[in-house]
Amino acid sequence: MSFERIKPHLPWITLLALVAIVGIADANFLRPANLIAMAADIVPLFIMALGMTFAIYIGGIDLSAQSVANMTTVVATVTLPLFGVGAALVCILSGFVLGAVSGYVTTKLLVPSFISTLAIGGVAFSAAQYLSGQRALFMDAELRDATFGWMTGSSFGIPHEIFIGAFLVLVTWFLQTRTTFGRALKAVGAGEPAAVAAGLDVAKIKIMAFAVSGLLAAVAGLLFSVKLSGGSPTLANGFLLPAIVAVLVGGTPLTGGVGGVINTLIGTLIVAVIRSSMLYFEVDATKQQMVFGLVLIAAIALTIDRTKLRIVK
Amino acid sequence: MYELRKVDKKFPGVHALKAIDFQIGRGEIVGLVGENGAGKSTLMKVIYGAYQADGGDITIDGTKVRFQNPRQAMDHGIGMVFQEQSLITNLTVMENIFLGFEQQFVSFGVINWKDMAQAARNQLAKVKLDIDPATVTSRLSFAQRQLVELAKVLTLEERVDGDLVILLDEPTSVLAREEVELLFSLVRDLTSRASFIFVSHRMDEVLELSDRIYVMKDGEVVDVVAQAEANVDDIQHKMVGREVDKEYYREQKQKPYRKEAPLVSFKDVSHGARYQNISFDLHPGEVLCLVGTEGSGREAVLRTVFGLETPTAGTVSLKGQDVTRFNAQNGVAAGVGYVPRERKVEGIVGGMNVYENMTLSQMGNYSKNGVLRISEEKSLARDWIDRLSIKTPSEYKDCGGLSGGNQQKVVLAKWRSGGSDIILLDHPTRGLDIGAKEDVYDMVRDMSDDGAGIILVADTLEEAIGLSHTIIVLKDGIEQIRYDCEPGNKPSLFDLVHHMI
Repeated sequence: MSFERIKPHLPWITLLALVAIVGIADANFLRPANLIAMAADIVPLFIMALGMTFAIYIGGIDLSAQSVANMTTVVATVTLPLFGVGAALVCILSGFVLGAVSGYVTTKLLVPSFISTLAIGGVAFSAAQYLSGQRALFMDAELRDATFGWMTGSSFGIPHEIFIGAFLVLVTWFLQTRTTFGRALKAVGAGEPAAVAAGLDVAKIKIMAFAVSGLLAAVAGLLFSVKLSGGSPTLANGFLLPAIVAVLVGGTPLTGGVGGVINTLIGTLIVAVIRSSMLYFEVDATKQQMVFGLVLIAAIALTIDRTKLRIVK
Repeated sequence: MYELRKVDKKFPGVHALKAIDFQIGRGEIVGLVGENGAGKSTLMKVIYGAYQADGGDITIDGTKVRFQNPRQAMDHGIGMVFQEQSLITNLTVMENIFLGFEQQFVSFGVINWKDMAQAARNQLAKVKLDIDPATVTSRLSFAQRQLVELAKVLTLEERVDGDLVILLDEPTSVLAREEVELLFSLVRDLTSRASFIFVSHRMDEVLELSDRIYVMKDGEVVDVVAQAEANVDDIQHKMVGREVDKEYYREQKQKPYRKEAPLVSFKDVSHGARYQNISFDLHPGEVLCLVGTEGSGREAVLRTVFGLETPTAGTVSLKGQDVTRFNAQNGVAAGVGYVPRERKVEGIVGGMNVYENMTLSQMGNYSKNGVLRISEEKSLARDWIDRLSIKTPSEYKDCGGLSGGNQQKVVLAKWRSGGSDIILLDHPTRGLDIGAKEDVYDMVRDMSDDGAGIILVADTLEEAIGLSHTIIVLKDGIEQIRYDCEPGNKPSLFDLVHHMI
């Protein structure tokens, strides 16, 4: 059996292998309570990775996701006393708009997305610094529990974050597989010239993809902010690399067109297992990003479709 | 001294070269002519090592050789002057001339620019070009670049023992008349240093320069004529050759088109330098064919109708409505379907399956509030798989894995099932085998019968003549002549070639 044929199945094989390895090393890892806690913990990152999937699915990337999430933690904390539940709307809208701006810059001004989103990320980061006065802000505990307490509670022993993650993966999966938007995304990712020649409004589709990515990054930021009960311009630092790893390891290649949100679910679980295995193997927390960097390089080098990406610079 | 014997080259579905015999003597200039697709470029590529022959022998001075790549061919004295110029424009002239061969000027890891400049001057002197070798290439005119390219190839003289063969691929296509004269006298002078193979669309130039002329058709050399016996008419007749089989193009099924309100109407439309003052009406049931050489403007006209190009002057109207904003969405909305030449790039989306491809241009018809009705898409696909006998295991098959003919059917089904009645066909039979071609011809007739208007840029002239109701011949973006082509009263190949070149 050739590598090309195994390739689509690599993500879940990797996941099972990793779970088995860590489980054998320490049986405690496989305890349901531990697995559930691990899953709940990864949800903000998962939501960001879901958004990232849309950018990568069309062959782009969204490097602003982490900064947008950072900004959202500040926006949520600042606007919570002002608007109550409306704060969530402000967060989501600002993420959507920033993503749409990235998309506009990419498609209309023809700036490659890795630059446009990097730049927009800078804008978001500055905005967070300005809004927070460069301080860590804290939410009023009572107000937070009254407004967003439902996000972090738990029912039947399962933390609500997991329900939120499950809900979002269902919505995005529906979007990807059952709507004209999802079909158009696939066409743009797999064969943009043909999508243009079929009369699709490719620019609009791409802008929407980046907007969805921004929106979900904002949701990730919001949830994270509620979880930690506060906001700061650096709160979500360390999310970007694992989010990209989750998408790529899950099987959505940088060239786009294949994979999707279910792949990202698997990819995120791989990230979660790697992360907690580091605890079991007593790898220092400062080395996490190092590991994810290496995993990212390995994942891309192994899976990228060389026929689509002939020249690499 | 350089000789091909019974050289064969096959590509999937195409027999590109059939037992070619070709030879060139020392100091000789050999011309190579043929229609598009006759096999000229394949032959050139075999000669300079970009392709490897499947059969036959290549010999130099009687010794058998085999080139794995152009570099090996160069080591045997065979150089190519590219039509699309191969110079890197932000490098200096001398850097370009010695690109990849800088080692001779290097001492202690550093390039001695003075030595290189001197050597470059020597090369430039061969082509009588008096410029500073340190000039950045982008500052040169096209004619000068062409000469630099020639000078670059002539460095082979120093590197290689034995004779040189230099291929000139359409070297005159961007040159003015005086520049062409200069180039020709230079080439004649250079015959003391090398032999030349000269490929051009311009018959008069080939006749003027070449000692002998190889005429190619359908992958074969149909004749070799010496300059003294050559005349343009004879060669053109040989280029287009065989009698056309009327059955093959479904001529018996050609019915007069309906003289109703036109589907597409061009009034004095121009597009910069691509084409000027083009006017025509396309009626329901009509097959209108644009004929011309590569770059004559025929593709640009097609892309304008679809909305991918915005004309600079004139009025385009689709079904009576003047087009104000040119983009593909508006084109599709007006009922235009485009079957592009680059089938795998613009025609189908590889990685998407048959039904996804078929509904890509008409998702609105198969969705409500943005949610797709996938079961309807599938039954549409099954229906058209039957109607066009598309060979695919099911509607779930990735279109990238279908054969060329079946991909083309998927593209046609996409437009026809969506109700498009202005169909633009750009080389619809390119790379298809004969059976698949006939299927395409049948579909063309069926679409005409249904009242669709078709604008065709055909793969061959026979195809253009066989299929069309009307032919417009373009040359350099300007309409040369227009023919009505009722069955039995069609223009001959020779008529068309005569106006094309």
